[in-house]
Amino acid sequence: MRRLPVLIAAAAGAIAVIGLSPGGAAQQAARPAAMTPAKAKALMHYRHERMETIRDNFKVAGKEVSGSSPDLAKVVKPAATIDTLARQASHWFPAGTGPDVGKTMAKPAVWQDPKDFAAKMTNFQKAASTFNAAAKSGNAGTAKAAFGDLAKTCKACHDLYRKAH
Amino acid sequence: MSGAKQPVWDLPVRLFHWLLAGLIGLSWWTAKNDALEIHLYSGYAILSLIIFRVLWGVFGSSTAQFKTFIRGPRAIIAYIRDSRAWKAIGHSPLGALSVLAMLVVLKLQVATGLLNADDDGLTEGPLSAKVSQAAVDFAHEAHELLFKLLLTLIALHVAAILFYQFGQKKNLIGPMVTGKAEVDPAAEPMRPGKYWVALLCLAAAIATTRALIALGG
Repeated sequence: MRRLPVLIAAAAGAIAVIGLSPGGAAQQAARPAAMTPAKAKALMHYRHERMETIRDNFKVAGKEVSGSSPDLAKVVKPAATIDTLARQASHWFPAGTGPDVGKTMAKPAVWQDPKDFAAKMTNFQKAASTFNAAAKSGNAGTAKAAFGDLAKTCKACHDLYRKAH
Repeated sequence: MSGAKQPVWDLPVRLFHWLLAGLIGLSWWTAKNDALEIHLYSGYAILSLIIFRVLWGVFGSSTAQFKTFIRGPRAIIAYIRDSRAWKAIGHSPLGALSVLAMLVVLKLQVATGLLNADDDGLTEGPLSAKVSQAAVDFAHEAHELLFKLLLTLIALHVAAILFYQFGQKKNLIGPMVTGKAEVDPAAEPMRPGKYWVALLCLAAAIATTRALIALGG
């Protein structure tokens, strides 16, 4: 009789474990792949490199469109690169790649306010696509304006979601 | 020491000192808080101040002049052995090293700032677009490293002031505010610079700063 409470506790524990484990497994399965630290770091490094590629192309394009006699032929390639990368950028911020995992300039707010972050990403993609089209159009005025709009979408997101130095 | 207080720091030196201290604080805060527009202007102001100080170190009051306060290793060692034997006014032979070190690091800090750009390329120093990305990256790293060096030098500077204040009962902060200190009667008095020369130095400093910024187009 004295052992009854222990048995009940053990049974309850067993039920709890059995009952909860399928849920736990389901949660695990919901993520396509578990984010191991090594994977997270590799992705964060990749993200950093791609952001730098966007920055480099942005600078090349910016120098040309804001110059006195812009040659849009030189803008077509960087604009296309930015457009391509902008489409991928929203996939670079899965959960588990924040500042708690490794060195990054991404603020925790990226994962705390995912809706707004996604909206900012969409604005960026749209502006990159518009700039790409503008570069191909051959109209320097349109390209310059589209470049300015693109820069604004970079800044709007960085102001909120990129860490100060 | 006895007698009335005598001038040791002229107004331009004192204004330079406190404006610089304030602007370094502003630069620090604006960098930490991503207020980079203000950070750039703070840097331009520091650039002007530094150029002014170098000119005033040639054409200014005796205690501001490099040729007065920069001393050789012998004077520095003698001062370290017995600092109380040193009766002159102005920067001590050892303090002069601190002043020079801070000026040199500040010059490098401003120079790397002119070439620097934010990682996203959205905020750029005025000369950043004129140099390669590799040069910008180098300036970026150097700007961060130099700031740590500058902070170390400032910490040493403040520690030295506290040491004189409490260890040697010598107040250094008061004279940097009022310009006057009790001095040894035997000490050579300060030969003040001329104010119109100070204004010319300031005008030249601002003009040089503007010309440097304009180099970026």
